[in-house]
Amino acid sequence: MPIHEKSLIAPEDLMTSDKLVVDGVDVSGHWNTMIKPRYVSDYDADFCKVIQGYPGGEYVHRCWQCGSCTNSCTVYAVNADFNPRYWIYLVNLGLKEELLKDKDIIWQCVSCNKCTNICPKDVRPEGVMKALQHWMEDEGHVAKSSSTLFDEEFTRQCLARGRIEDTEVITNFLRRTGQDIVELIRNGWLGIMVARMNKWPLLRQGRLGKFIVRMPILGPLKMGFMMVFKPRTRSWGNTGTVLRQYVEEQKRLAKG
Amino acid sequence: MNETILIVGAGPTGLSAAHGVASAGKQVVLVEKESRLGGAPILSGYARLVPSGEWAKDAIGRMVKRVEDDARITIHKGAKVMKLDGDSGNFIATLSNGRTVDAGAVILGTGFTHFDSINKPEWGFGTYEDVVTTTQMEQMMAAGKIACPSDGRVPERVCILLCVGSRDRQIGREWCSKICCTVSANLAMEIKELSPGTDVFIYYMDIRTFGLYEDKYYWRSQEEFGTKYVKARIAEVTQGPDKRLLVKGEDTLVKRPIVIPMDLVVHAIGMDPNLDNPEIAKVFGVGLEKHGFLERGEHYTASFASARRGIYVGGAALGPEDIDTCISHGLAMAMRAVGELNAGAQKAA
Repeated sequence: MPIHEKSLIAPEDLMTSDKLVVDGVDVSGHWNTMIKPRYVSDYDADFCKVIQGYPGGEYVHRCWQCGSCTNSCTVYAVNADFNPRYWIYLVNLGLKEELLKDKDIIWQCVSCNKCTNICPKDVRPEGVMKALQHWMEDEGHVAKSSSTLFDEEFTRQCLARGRIEDTEVITNFLRRTGQDIVELIRNGWLGIMVARMNKWPLLRQGRLGKFIVRMPILGPLKMGFMMVFKPRTRSWGNTGTVLRQYVEEQKRLAKG
Repeated sequence: MNETILIVGAGPTGLSAAHGVASAGKQVVLVEKESRLGGAPILSGYARLVPSGEWAKDAIGRMVKRVEDDARITIHKGAKVMKLDGDSGNFIATLSNGRTVDAGAVILGTGFTHFDSINKPEWGFGTYEDVVTTTQMEQMMAAGKIACPSDGRVPERVCILLCVGSRDRQIGREWCSKICCTVSANLAMEIKELSPGTDVFIYYMDIRTFGLYEDKYYWRSQEEFGTKYVKARIAEVTQGPDKRLLVKGEDTLVKRPIVIPMDLVVHAIGMDPNLDNPEIAKVFGVGLEKHGFLERGEHYTASFASARRGIYVGGAALGPEDIDTCISHGLAMAMRAVGELNAGAQKAA
């Protein structure tokens, strides 16, 4: 029978001396293995309020641990370590250290919202997952997720010019996520996508006439123009500044 | 056929039964062993009652006054029934104050005894001053201040341990005391109202805030008053070097041992059978069920009957019960007793 408690021992809590002699008896190596105390020794009462301050985390305190969220979870079905019910409990009691042990999988939530639909206490666990991810990014516990980087670039352009340029969003996103654009065009999915958009397969088939008729010309031209001149939306004025102030203010209010 | 009904016990059950019988035009003799009427809510100094939110001394006080002001009700305080002779229709009770009472029927509203926390020494009651019971907390709430008994400081953290003296085979309490979950949730809210800086934790195995108590107490305490519910049965309560109490146990949802500092530990004590039940059973010739509460007869057509004809039992004497239900039991027993007397009188005529 597997020893359940063994799964609770974190590797960093194990202590083993390579050389140890006790009362003349050699107990070197695994014979002297000791486990550091691993009990929960306190609650952080304010942690719950911090998470409630993030959009989506507002109702986390309602949870009564029925486990409906975890049972309905799409990600849990393929990864049993992904346990929303458990994280919500940790938030409510303020067991931050325990929570951070799972910091590298919380982002995996696919926002299918099955948990939110099934939750009898209307905790909205999907929102809690988002709130947790944002909190961890804000506190520097995890690197900014790809979706956060995308959102940031998207928002930056919206606020600056009242519009986005698709090409600029995607190039900046790829750059910020450390993806080599040139390599992606030459050997990756980006090259294949551009080639197909431009009907190059027709060219390869030797159907030159059809290729010329179908090749998008005005679109790429307009795209290039926009990339160079970065026009703002008409009468955008100070709207961006005002919006930015409003967003900051709302964030401050939410965090109390 | 005697037209008087003897009622034993002047708690919510007995007071309600006394009023019921008197309002149906019969004479009542009410016998209470303590020197005050009102039963546990008054004698133990409860604060606000579930679910009305009224102060016990006001709500139960009204019941007491109604009974005291009723010319049909004769009250014997500080008295016990020592002997009960005769049969249904013609009982003769001998009281400890020397009086005898002739009665056609007897209603037992003899209630319960609070569990004595000393029987769970591992949870620190009697060892540490800052371990108290829900009864003591009720008294604090009624006095309008919350403080640690050891030094009078306002606790930063209070934890309430549920199922103290309930659902515990180790000490022969194989029943759920029914009301402690709701009482504790109510208490958690009262503590927060009185001292907004105090955090309240409730350690539970299950939460049984039955019926309409669910949202009004459990949900509300959690959602509006920030009460934290922790699924752990505490193993022991000890004291740290800083004199703060330490509650030890396993948080079953984190699957990890916990040792958490607390300023005040509250035992949500259960309802035991009345300590006098063996004596009551002997004097009145009624039975005890397996846990030691009074035995109830067939309920569908002989509601609230005891093992002896002409004697009715109800309220917390039958098992853990909430005040509202006790009051209903009292009225139901009045109905049964008066009905029985009327049937007897018709037969005689």
